[in-house]
Amino acid sequence: MKNKFLLPLIILVSTSCSQNTFVLKDKVFCFDTYIETNLYEGNNEDLSNIKDMFTLFDKLSDNYLSRDVTNIFSINSTNEELEINPSLYSLIKTSIDVNDEGATYFNPLCGSLSKKWKAALKEGKVLSQEEIDEELVKMNNSSIFFKDNNIIQRIGEAEIDLGGIAKGYTLDIVNDYLKEKEYKHFLINGGSSSILLGEKKSSDGYFNVGLRDLSNAYIKAKNCFISTSSKSVQGVKIGDITYSHIINPTNGSAINENDAVIVISQKGYLGDALSTSMMMNTIEEIKQIEIDSGVKTIVIKNNHIIYKNDEIDVYYH
Amino acid sequence: MDKKKLRNDIILIISLLAVAAVSLILIINKSVKTNLVARISVQNNVVEVIDLSKKEEKDFYIDGINGKVHVHTIDGSIAIVESNCPHQDCVRMGYISDSSHPIICAYNGVYITIDGETLNDVELG
Repeated sequence: MKNKFLLPLIILVSTSCSQNTFVLKDKVFCFDTYIETNLYEGNNEDLSNIKDMFTLFDKLSDNYLSRDVTNIFSINSTNEELEINPSLYSLIKTSIDVNDEGATYFNPLCGSLSKKWKAALKEGKVLSQEEIDEELVKMNNSSIFFKDNNIIQRIGEAEIDLGGIAKGYTLDIVNDYLKEKEYKHFLINGGSSSILLGEKKSSDGYFNVGLRDLSNAYIKAKNCFISTSSKSVQGVKIGDITYSHIINPTNGSAINENDAVIVISQKGYLGDALSTSMMMNTIEEIKQIEIDSGVKTIVIKNNHIIYKNDEIDVYYH
Repeated sequence: MDKKKLRNDIILIISLLAVAAVSLILIINKSVKTNLVARISVQNNVVEVIDLSKKEEKDFYIDGINGKVHVHTIDGSIAIVESNCPHQDCVRMGYISDSSHPIICAYNGVYITIDGETLNDVELG
């Protein structure tokens, strides 16, 4: 009698050890990086729709090239009123409004200052205070005029740069799409700096997210966005100082308070903007922003965690 | 009857032990990185596949969309050491030896990834 149960029992035990491997994958080059979509449910049409979303926002937010739509490059090229895609209008508006959600060091008008820093650091040079001041004057005398949900006018000489928010904003659009389809199992990796997580197909649903700035460290996360800003990737060391690609819009400096900031949030745009802005914040300021904006944060300096929200557990392999 | 029962019990225990042993091997294997392979793509087409576990020092000259890109491998890591791109971000990234961060030369459409089993589902940073 027992023999009849033996084989089914072995099969049951064996299959319980294996994971469901169904996954739809896609990779698209957008926002100067590769976006990798992993859907553990859904179909190829979903992959295609998601790719279209990334492609559209990549074109809209491009501040370096003219594309086949009116984009940030177009807006930066004129002071005239322009009719733009309502999605771009909403993205630019969000990039301004996010300041009120705690991203006080996030300014979309720092485009020309960022470009100047990038060019200087490429040559192994640091911008002079005179050059920085000139750009700060431009920024402080510039603004963006919004009208009718699709009309925009850049006033002044400062250029718009949405590099610190566009990817997270697009992930929000993708998340809305996946929620509408009632999909739960997905992982979208926006070039390792912005990640959208659904639930893993496992008993607890948590994904292991490795933290590149801390050796062998990882966190467990699901149903959230994780954004990070770090000097380790694009930082340039000149003398004893590491200069960052993240510019402080208040004083024009490329020296950050923190080496890396990780933000876990429920909105991609907020996580992206806050992780950028928090590179300049003190720990006390970050704690207050966590309370005000409902995000959780890890702050890293000199290869160590100098602050971690109590609700985040960091594990080590 | 008792002998038959005992035999069946032994078969059951051996079977379960075998399943447990296989599971253990799978778990142990998962915690060890497999051989790492670098893939160089130009505009999404893989043009070179390099076994980094051989730890060979080699040079590769990849035809990018705007010029040649000089790729170098040494001691299980890979880097773009020369490119005609304006920003040189790809060169500044230096050598990579795991799958956490690809090297991208957007100007030349060149993309270098390292594949291999890793402990995490995704890498942040």
